[in-house]
Amino acid sequence: MGAVLRHRLGVASLVVLAAMVLLGVLGPLLAPQDPLVQDPSALLQGPSAAHLLGTDNLGRDVFSRLLAGSRLSLLAALEAVAVGLVLGTVPGLLSVYLGRVFEWVTLRVMDAFVTLPFLVFAVAMTALLGNGLTQAMFAVGILISPVFYRVTRAAAFPVAGSQYVEAARLTGAPAWFVLRRHVWPKVLPAVAVSAAGLLGSSLVIVSSLTFLGIGIQPPEPTWGGMLATDLEYLYQRPTAPFVPALLIILTVGACNGLADALRDVIGAPRGGRVRA
Amino acid sequence: MPDRTSPLLKVRDLAVSLGRGRARREILHGVDLTVRAGEIVGLIGETGSGKTTLARTVLGLNRVDRGTVRVESRPVHGLRGGALRAFRRAGAVQYVFQDPLQSLDPDLPLGRSVGEALEVRREPGIAERVADALRLVGLDPDLAGRLPGEVSGGQRQRAAIARRPVVRRAPAAAVRANRSARSTRRTRTSVLELLARLRDGNRVGQLFISHDLGSVAGVTDRVAVLYRGHVVETGPTAQVVSAPTHPYTRLLIGSAPTVDGGGLGRAERAALRAELVGKAAS
Repeated sequence: MGAVLRHRLGVASLVVLAAMVLLGVLGPLLAPQDPLVQDPSALLQGPSAAHLLGTDNLGRDVFSRLLAGSRLSLLAALEAVAVGLVLGTVPGLLSVYLGRVFEWVTLRVMDAFVTLPFLVFAVAMTALLGNGLTQAMFAVGILISPVFYRVTRAAAFPVAGSQYVEAARLTGAPAWFVLRRHVWPKVLPAVAVSAAGLLGSSLVIVSSLTFLGIGIQPPEPTWGGMLATDLEYLYQRPTAPFVPALLIILTVGACNGLADALRDVIGAPRGGRVRA
Repeated sequence: MPDRTSPLLKVRDLAVSLGRGRARREILHGVDLTVRAGEIVGLIGETGSGKTTLARTVLGLNRVDRGTVRVESRPVHGLRGGALRAFRRAGAVQYVFQDPLQSLDPDLPLGRSVGEALEVRREPGIAERVADALRLVGLDPDLAGRLPGEVSGGQRQRAAIARRPVVRRAPAAAVRANRSARSTRRTRTSVLELLARLRDGNRVGQLFISHDLGSVAGVTDRVAVLYRGHVVETGPTAQVVSAPTHPYTRLLIGSAPTVDGGGLGRAERAALRAELVGKAAS
């Protein structure tokens, strides 16, 4: 991790992400006004001292709503990545160990997930589980799990057949010991790179879903939802969509930048090979 | 303390098949082998003769079709799951891998790999025992913190061997010393000498596995010659080397290059091969 801090793009990405997380965590404290309070006397106003970024079509303070929205959007993206991580990495590791039947079944299930379109599946899941960002992002998590599954398997496979794993097994080591000691350290770097990249993708998906009004209850602010409202009133406030769009672009860019930096720092995973 | 002549490892009529479905082949066809306490037995055979399969079966890595494997009179060929892990943890049989480049985790310091067996058994004083084991194989204990890629090939080889003496109780040990192009005959021989020193008095029996009779002849008490899944000849090393009875053994010995050119001529080797083919047919 220290090496990431010596990587220029990595530092820039971490700074942006840290700023976003701070906004998300401290948002309610920093927000000058309640993001849900409507003011009919001040609809669609431009920036002013009272409203730093103006007001929306219901007279709500845009700056306060962006701060509140950053928390929801980031949490939703994190949820999707966490769900995908667990649902992909665990079967990925087990597929290498539990024999052919488990391997065959999980491979087919993961292939099936790959064929499903994100938005349609998320919409179907919210119809099934109830409309909410948690449900929608759970669905997204399921659909990104094949990436983690593949990456984990690819990294774990050569290790599982290696002589040092065999040597460990010959000392009587149980499977969890071998997994923790020899396999996981080889899998982790690849998983970390994927997680950072997928965090960005998930944020795009959250924004797309909330832009379409899926998984979100109307007063709750999210970046995608605000972008949608701003577009409706483009004639009155032509510059308004820039701010949420910029936030989305910056954050996604930072996630991808972090993924690239991690990949550069880690290089090709060392697993299995050393200089002779 | 086992008696000098009591068998530590006793393999009887062992048959093992590998592969699945139509690709399944019987690799060992009824092999007998005994290793007694304090004895070093060489298992010699060409590539594909079944040496490695036999070693892996003794360690419980292959299933047995027929026959028995006994370690200190205890049948171990049917062990599975927890019983197999407990047997391995007890350390009655240990394996020293020939190729340290692959048998040491490249991302783990040498000391962690050497002490792994102790960690699995949750034993105390791992650091000191690892240092002792490293000293025993002629390595500086300070190397424990280095990665395998940061030390020389010879040091890696010694570290791989140190995995064995770190476990104190060690009656029988199976060793694979094989065709690896990396190890020259010189380093292979020094490794064998090192292993021979680790006999721990007369408690340990050792099985050396090699394709090269010459490199193990100097350190083994007895040799068994494995050919196409059969032990074709077994006896005291000197007797097998000086008066081989089976044509394959004669071919093996005669094919080795010698300084005075005393090996077999082309015609003699061809005759032995023909005899072998005749035996295989009958």
